[in-house]
Amino acid sequence: MRLSRHWIALCAAGLAVTGSARADDDRGPVNRAPTAADWARIATLPDLSGVWSPGPMDRFGPGSTTAPPWKPGQAAQIAALEALEKQGRPQNIYVNCLPEGLPSSVTQTLNSVEFLVTPGRVTVLGEFDGNRLRRIWTDGRPHPADPDPTFSGDSIGHWDKDTLVVDTIGFLPQVFIPMSQGVGLPNDGDMHVEERIALAGPDTLQVDIVVHAPRVLTRPWHARRLFTRHRERTFDFVESSCRQGDFLDDLDAHGNAIYLPVPKDDGGARLPPDQARSK
Amino acid sequence: MTSATKPSPMPPRFRRLLAVALVLAVPAMPLAAHHSFAMFDPGRPMTFQATVKTLQWTAPHAILWVQAGPVGGYDAGLWSLELPTSPGNLSKMGWSRTVLKPGDKVVVDINPMRDGRRAGQFKKARIVATGKVLGIGTIPGTQPPK
Repeated sequence: MRLSRHWIALCAAGLAVTGSARADDDRGPVNRAPTAADWARIATLPDLSGVWSPGPMDRFGPGSTTAPPWKPGQAAQIAALEALEKQGRPQNIYVNCLPEGLPSSVTQTLNSVEFLVTPGRVTVLGEFDGNRLRRIWTDGRPHPADPDPTFSGDSIGHWDKDTLVVDTIGFLPQVFIPMSQGVGLPNDGDMHVEERIALAGPDTLQVDIVVHAPRVLTRPWHARRLFTRHRERTFDFVESSCRQGDFLDDLDAHGNAIYLPVPKDDGGARLPPDQARSK
Repeated sequence: MTSATKPSPMPPRFRRLLAVALVLAVPAMPLAAHHSFAMFDPGRPMTFQATVKTLQWTAPHAILWVQAGPVGGYDAGLWSLELPTSPGNLSKMGWSRTVLKPGDKVVVDINPMRDGRRAGQFKKARIVATGKVLGIGTIPGTQPPK
């Protein structure tokens, strides 16, 4: 038994070397340079170019409810947060300008996205968070065994005919599951997100998303978001740094251009300097 | 204002006020930049004339800073009027960082802060000299910002 296990391991190592000899060497797996054939292969994929503006959120599948199916404890917290928001004491899922992460970057964002399809990967850029960046690997690699947790997680994708199917794990437990622009709760760990991204018309993109968050949801949350394509250059992405609005332009004593922080209220509204103290 | 060259200096009075305010406010100053607009009261809309100090053309929300005389129960002074979105989206709605210039006389429609401080949610502005109205539109195919 011991011998056969070694034999299997040797065979597997041999396959790894011969099967992807150009991809692996003594540095471990590498991202090999794409060939003309690699570029030709992706030329027939659906055209995701252009700037995609998010549309109204609607829901995925019959019987789905608007809200994620929170466990009872989470539902009570959500009700309390909503009550605070109605009283004008906002609770914000985007505090500190940290990235919104998944699923909010699909379900909640009000800002445009771009998809760059290149050999072995799809790169998603967002006009938010200092220009949000997601990498979806489509080169056949598996998820790492223990990925470093991040806001957008570790995304592995493949093309199922004309649909980009994406599987994402490795989220920070603090990443919110939203139910509005202002209210959400952390996933608390073990979140897993599935996406199916496909053209639903010449200039319509449909993203179906399923959020598995067993620590806070009673069952997976299904949502759908449609995006509208724009090719006008007035829609080209601009730099969008979330912290820049915290500062005003000024000059220091040497005449250098500097940023001066702007006072804000508890909810983040910018205030004139003489209004910084609460009334 | 965003500019390729050095920005025009902030008026000394504004800078002094800001410095004092920062000293007073630092312990309680939150870091939230992108935020909900729940602190603004849509049930008490206001309209008044003001003079543009600057259009702060920054993400996540642009801000129109205007100087106004006494209005309603408010003292004369500087107002921050926060737009509901960023230059990226505003430019898709026909705005630009030069559409309002320092010194422009405007009539603004706002939702003021609930707590009475001189700040509000920008709704629209009419430039007195030209009659041009700047509002918050929608991007085709998108949901309107709050």
